[in-house]
Amino acid sequence: MQHYFDVIAAILPFLWAGFVQTFWVSLVAIAAGSVLGFLIGVARSQRIPLLHQLFGLYIHILRGTPFLVQLYVFYFVLPNTGIEALQWSSETAAFVSLSVYTSSYVAEIVMAAIDTVPAGQWEAATALGLKRLPILGLVVLPQALKLTVPPMSGVYVNIIKNTAILSVIGISELTRQGEISIMRFPSDVLFIYGVIALVYFVYCYPVLRFTRWAERKVGGTRVVNLD
Amino acid sequence: MNWALDFYNYRIVEQYLDRFAEGLENTLMAAAVSLVAAVILGTMVALCRMSTRAILWRPAAGYVAFILATPLLVQIYLIYYGLPSLIPATGRWSELTLGIIALSLHNAAYMSEIVRGGIASVPRGQIEGGKAVGMSYLQRLRYIVLPQAFANTLPPLLGQTAVLIKDTSLLSIIAVFDFLSAGLLLNSERVRPNESFLTIALGYLAIYIVMLGLSWAVRRWLAGPAWNAV
Repeated sequence: MQHYFDVIAAILPFLWAGFVQTFWVSLVAIAAGSVLGFLIGVARSQRIPLLHQLFGLYIHILRGTPFLVQLYVFYFVLPNTGIEALQWSSETAAFVSLSVYTSSYVAEIVMAAIDTVPAGQWEAATALGLKRLPILGLVVLPQALKLTVPPMSGVYVNIIKNTAILSVIGISELTRQGEISIMRFPSDVLFIYGVIALVYFVYCYPVLRFTRWAERKVGGTRVVNLD
Repeated sequence: MNWALDFYNYRIVEQYLDRFAEGLENTLMAAAVSLVAAVILGTMVALCRMSTRAILWRPAAGYVAFILATPLLVQIYLIYYGLPSLIPATGRWSELTLGIIALSLHNAAYMSEIVRGGIASVPRGQIEGGKAVGMSYLQRLRYIVLPQAFANTLPPLLGQTAVLIKDTSLLSIIAVFDFLSAGLLLNSERVRPNESFLTIALGYLAIYIVMLGLSWAVRRWLAGPAWNAV
């Protein structure tokens, strides 16, 4: 037992630094990805020819490939184009790829929520003489945004978990710090990864619970027993 | 034409074609085996989760919460590095086997949520009707609940399968020679990121398109019979 306390005491500063990094990367990616995804989602909901299909392709490409592959493309392929502005550090590549990945999910959620608002709302607002943007801003979005809360927080859990993948390009987030700690204590692999899993759990589980709570608030799911 | 070959030289990819095929085979194998295992395991977890007995549903709920709230990569590391220190015999198992175990355990939790949603969609009166005609728990499950739950489970199950195929790419990190590893090999031998990573991305996209078509066909098929119409 004393051994485990010693290990914990030795690796705690590293795990803390890793957690802070995970926290910031996930927060910034969530914020940037949500803004980008929101704009794409609103644009897609207007069904403007060509633009709608173009963003649809964007979403399909991002959903059809693993995040790890996207990360490699942003980290290895873009600098290979020879364009000065795309010579990114691993931090920039990590941040951009995670944000772009987030945006594809957010865009789908926002468009689905806008589509749920009944067409009568559009028609009534048009009858009152409002233009497209005021209808969106004053009538449709306030109703739609409430619906986005549960799926959005589900996506956020996913983004937090995906930050672990950033360790492969050397971002010193929680998982990477764990790998470094294991080089110091090779016999405690299971214990150290267990502690890391616990840290992720403490970070993600409240968001997960919030998702469930918001789902119950927005729409009703039934609780069923088989016995 | 020269600039196109500079950007993407298909002849290099051609030389690595059998490596890509080998990787694709491992990817599809890992996905198929862990899909079957995850569905079976997930159904059992879902049934435990819905029990009224605390000794059954509490561990199941804890398991699902743990899997859903921790990254897959950490779970893969836990199985790959951690399992041999718990059960020394597993140290001799291949990376692919351990990777499949990790993927199965991970997806079992997601499948259990999907199955649970499908079962919850069966109206309560159906189960009570089964009880009223004297069916046992297993009979109710076999003849009433699961056939109806199946129709509501299949579309999200296909969606999760698409996610599962993408998730197999993480196995490349624990040295499984999967589809992504074939591209990494090309890049490390030839230092041609475009040929390696864009080929991989296209390969995964092709799999995704097949999955999209499949889920479209299934949705059409399910919309067919009248028993599914509520």
